[in-house]
Amino acid sequence: MREFIQFTLGGISFGMIYAAIALSLVLIWRGTRILNYSQGAMAMFTTYVAFTVIGHTGNYWAGFAAALAAGLLLGAVIERTVIRPVENKPPLNAVVVTIGLLVFLEGLAGIIYGGQYRSFPPAFSITGLRAGSVPLGVSSNDVFVAGAVLAAALGLALLFRYTSAGLRLRAAAFNAYAARLLGVRVGRVLTLGWALAGLIGALAGVLVSPATFLYPASMDSIFVLGFTAAVIGGLDSPVGAVVGGLILGVALNYVGGYLGSNLVPVFGLAALIVILMIRPSGLFSVSTSRQV
Amino acid sequence: MADQPALAVEDVVAGYGGVLALRGVSLSVRPGTITAVLGANGAGKTTLLTTISGFVRPRQGRITLEGADLTRRRPEEIARAGLAHVPEGQGVITELTVEENLRLGALWRHGHTGRAEALADAYRRFPLLAAARDRSAGTLSGGERQILVIARALMARPRVLLLDEPSLGLAPRIVAQVMGLIRRLRDEAGLTVLLVEQNARSALGIADRGVVLNLGQVVAAEDAAVLAADVGLRKHYLGF
Repeated sequence: MREFIQFTLGGISFGMIYAAIALSLVLIWRGTRILNYSQGAMAMFTTYVAFTVIGHTGNYWAGFAAALAAGLLLGAVIERTVIRPVENKPPLNAVVVTIGLLVFLEGLAGIIYGGQYRSFPPAFSITGLRAGSVPLGVSSNDVFVAGAVLAAALGLALLFRYTSAGLRLRAAAFNAYAARLLGVRVGRVLTLGWALAGLIGALAGVLVSPATFLYPASMDSIFVLGFTAAVIGGLDSPVGAVVGGLILGVALNYVGGYLGSNLVPVFGLAALIVILMIRPSGLFSVSTSRQV
Repeated sequence: MADQPALAVEDVVAGYGGVLALRGVSLSVRPGTITAVLGANGAGKTTLLTTISGFVRPRQGRITLEGADLTRRRPEEIARAGLAHVPEGQGVITELTVEENLRLGALWRHGHTGRAEALADAYRRFPLLAAARDRSAGTLSGGERQILVIARALMARPRVLLLDEPSLGLAPRIVAQVMGLIRRLRDEAGLTVLLVEQNARSALGIADRGVVLNLGQVVAAEDAAVLAADVGLRKHYLGF
């Protein structure tokens, strides 16, 4: 029973990372109907930015802030330059472009930083916490990871619900035609959507890199699992992204704990296949017919 | 410049791929009047509105709003120039609430206080929207949606309102209400309206001028009363 609690709590931390990647994917999917295959690579790149800043200043939080800012900027620039031309073309074009971007970013990181595994500092202590003398299976850093992603998700929810920018984002995602008729500059709105996705992805990158080490391909498997989480939750649903991430993170931790850690990637991919077979639209999707 | 038309379309040619829907259409709309655009299905009426509002690029010709050239500008910029287009099928954003739809209409035009005032105006003028303000717009009936999209278009205080088939799919009693609303907007607020309608009788009932399109060309442009009295024209192009 004690093990079960430890595995559950321990799985939440990674689950929140998957949730963050899933959230970025959902943001972009809802806004542009594009699946951003480079989301992980973008997060890897912004983590290298943090790595450089931390190296120069010795200050973790300066690096953390730099990564988030880089995420915003990278997302905006990518949308404006590379994605804008393929937004209204056949879906395959966007697939090719985002995969190309993935290759480009990983190659660029390799050129600038080299391929070696770098160690990246966690925000807080990774020593296991205890309740009295009972180990809980989580550390202070794990609590921070969960809290940070939750805060980001909540921040996004508030932005969408209560601000004009959020209203524009939603309107452009639901009905870009009607939004244009009402004077909404849909292009700028999409840039903002990608910037926010870049921000959340950057957060995921710095939060997970202490565990995975930082190297050009370090976010590849995280991306696949984040994508799986998004599919589980339903690509249209931000709530689904978070829930899907948690379910996946905890489930994979059970697999790792009870069955062995080398089975985790297998189970991750198996989960993706299973959900695509039995409920491809995800747990939280609502199929609505849109007025065109 | 009291004679300047609110909206002028000059020799516009426009179409989709190999098909020309407008073959040299000209019309002008005087400020504070309702001009009805009539004709059979496929005559080019909807293409005329979507070309004016910027979703279709004209291959030739000019479109001006109070003298300012709008030709080939982007739809959102044309909307921001003061031209509001309520499309065929209404364009209600069903995933948003009634109030969110209205607020969306006001965003580019007003700051915070302006938006609150515009919203209060809309609720005063359309009490049924006030009653439904927090409901999802998808739950409204056809007639209520038509009122919503007209109110939404008015939030930005447009100079010219384009309406595409507002009576489509509505019961006759509701059609009369909607037409009455459009007439009141002209009478009380001096709104300039370009009204595309298949229901020519209802449209001519409130219009000042009528323009009849057939196969992408203007075949008649007269005062509404004159058009309504021309039995031959009515039977041939308008079906009544």
